[in-house]
Amino acid sequence: MNKGKLSRPAIDTKRRDLLKLAAASAVGGIGLGTTTASAGAAGNAADPLDVVIVGAGLSGLTAARDLRRAGCESFVVLEARDRVGGRTLNHDLGDGHISEAGGQWIGPGQTAVADLARELNVGTFPQFYEGKSVVLGDEGRMEIDLKGTFGTDEKIAAKLSELSRDVPSGAPWKSKRLAELDIPIGNWLAKQDIKPEDRPGWNSTFTLTTGATPGSMGMLHFLSMINSANCRYEQLEDIKNSAQETRFVGGSQILSIRMAHQLGDKVRLSCPVRRISGWDRDVVTLHTDQGDVRARQVVMALSPPLCQRIQFEPALPPARAALHRAWPAHSPGRKTATVYKRPFWRDKGLNGHIFQINGELLWAYDNSPPGGEIGVINAFLANARVPSEPKAANEVLTKIYAQALGHEALTPVSFHEHDWAFADPWTITCVSAIPAGFWPKHGEALRPPCGKLIWSGTETAEIWAGYMDGAVRSGHQAALQALNVLRRV
Amino acid sequence: MKKIILLGIATAVALLLVFQGPALLDGYRLMRDLDRYTAAYEAEGPWPHLTDFCRGCHESKGNQNYPSLMAQPAPYLSAQLHKMASGERVSPNMGPLAMTLSEAEIAQVADYFSRQAPPENPWFLAEPALVEKGKKLVDAGGCAACHGEGLVGRDQIPRLAGQGYNYLVAQLNAFSSGTRPSPGNVMNQLASALSPDDRQAVAAFLATLKPEQAGHSPAGN
Repeated sequence: MNKGKLSRPAIDTKRRDLLKLAAASAVGGIGLGTTTASAGAAGNAADPLDVVIVGAGLSGLTAARDLRRAGCESFVVLEARDRVGGRTLNHDLGDGHISEAGGQWIGPGQTAVADLARELNVGTFPQFYEGKSVVLGDEGRMEIDLKGTFGTDEKIAAKLSELSRDVPSGAPWKSKRLAELDIPIGNWLAKQDIKPEDRPGWNSTFTLTTGATPGSMGMLHFLSMINSANCRYEQLEDIKNSAQETRFVGGSQILSIRMAHQLGDKVRLSCPVRRISGWDRDVVTLHTDQGDVRARQVVMALSPPLCQRIQFEPALPPARAALHRAWPAHSPGRKTATVYKRPFWRDKGLNGHIFQINGELLWAYDNSPPGGEIGVINAFLANARVPSEPKAANEVLTKIYAQALGHEALTPVSFHEHDWAFADPWTITCVSAIPAGFWPKHGEALRPPCGKLIWSGTETAEIWAGYMDGAVRSGHQAALQALNVLRRV
Repeated sequence: MKKIILLGIATAVALLLVFQGPALLDGYRLMRDLDRYTAAYEAEGPWPHLTDFCRGCHESKGNQNYPSLMAQPAPYLSAQLHKMASGERVSPNMGPLAMTLSEAEIAQVADYFSRQAPPENPWFLAEPALVEKGKKLVDAGGCAACHGEGLVGRDQIPRLAGQGYNYLVAQLNAFSSGTRPSPGNVMNQLASALSPDDRQAVAAFLATLKPEQAGHSPAGN
């Protein structure tokens, strides 16, 4: 936890700056008639802001952008970290190249994030997969052309696709087959006669997509994810024509960086919200490391477990507090980028994708830039099976890469890693491994606002919850909710 | 002509062996690896296991951040999972997960990890002087009285030998600041009596203890 609180005079200075900034930027107000007092709004006791957005990830920044486009200038975005982007983050590889440390792909059906990229003039390019993938054991090795899939048994995929039709993506707890489908997916898979050679693949697939292995992952939630993908397992889990198909030129974080650039001083970095008081009153006070901010509406654009880091006064309604406490947060994710002069594996007909039987890797893949100017192997790791110290981690990984791709792998140019569990206190988890039994108990508390608090963030999206696309959708939704309430004031 | 064809086939076979031989051998080895893995896995019951996911973060191979649960006494693991579920021990990552586990599942997870080989921590390197200082502090503090000879843990008290350095430092700091409670406040008092440097020295010594030094005592399991 960042306990580096500022001294009192420093807070006062920051606060004055914040107030000046808000006042200076509040030109024209919300533009929704005479009912708003936003012109000249300062965020202080006498003159609260229309909206405060907590979190400068894709969701919060999209909401802020929409507010401005609607004519509302009486808002700020408060971000705990010293950067924007939330769970998207670029590793700077030098020479203008990047590799993504967080969420990175979009695919068919993810139109909200694709539209945003177009509007921000961010290009896209395909994830590289042409050629053979390599499967490794302790000593064994096999090359196989998976043709943009992960080699999943098509019959099982078809069964899951069919079942997903009965689990609405935005409200899995409303499934008419709830009793039958709200079980650990491992219970269902165990009855599907899955061969030993396919089991490590299922373990990796579930860990990567849902954040848990089949034994502890809820089937209902997984089916709701397939439901987002047009009820097609392949559209969720493959690369080709699927949710892992497309990358952003400049890396996924560039979306947030560009939005923050447009928003300028509206975005306050290193400004964690510690306490929110009076959320049930007309004006809410947010107590931050840079002083107090007051607003009529608050968009909570952060993941449910992160809300646990904020004190609420009065206490939140029991159902919402219970949702925060129970939200699964045990999938922080650890991702590495190993950089080579060039993607040498492509010359050998390999695509740089590596799978292991019970090893250190969940999945390694070619993450080189669009033109293949340099070679990059990214990997999702079994977090603790690789040393924490980067030099040692690099040594362990390059040996595995050499076994898979050849001796050239032993001499990388650089190594980058990000373990989201330890990088900062403001992530906690990546995707949400919603277990069986969770949705019937907590689903109804997911979206209804609590007083002036509007719940946003990818977890609240009606489709593609948990994905970048869901984050953008949730940002649009939250801005609409805030504007509607303000219009009625 | 026939002879030429035969020669051709022989050449083709030879070429196939030259080019495909290593691949075939690698493929054979992969199947063998898979068979071995499957046999060992299924000895614990049919796929999938509840513990599959735990292993990614807690089957440490020299990671200093995540606590290794390997060869931890089952009563300790069970007690900690209960405390994390109740909120007595605050863990943003583990709290919600522990809340989902039934009593039978907690017992199963605790039993599984208690039976695993103790951790090795080959990647941790520390200044010999720091390790020596840590050893003196551990000896003087009588840590073995509760944590067992060789610091291998017993009953509700954890194994410390070979544990990750960063994790140990974080826990000692949490005991010192009071953010992690301990029965009878024993660990809170001990840790707060140590300076930050002393806590690092203690953690460095414990992290470097090798399993063969520590022994693999199933005490308390």
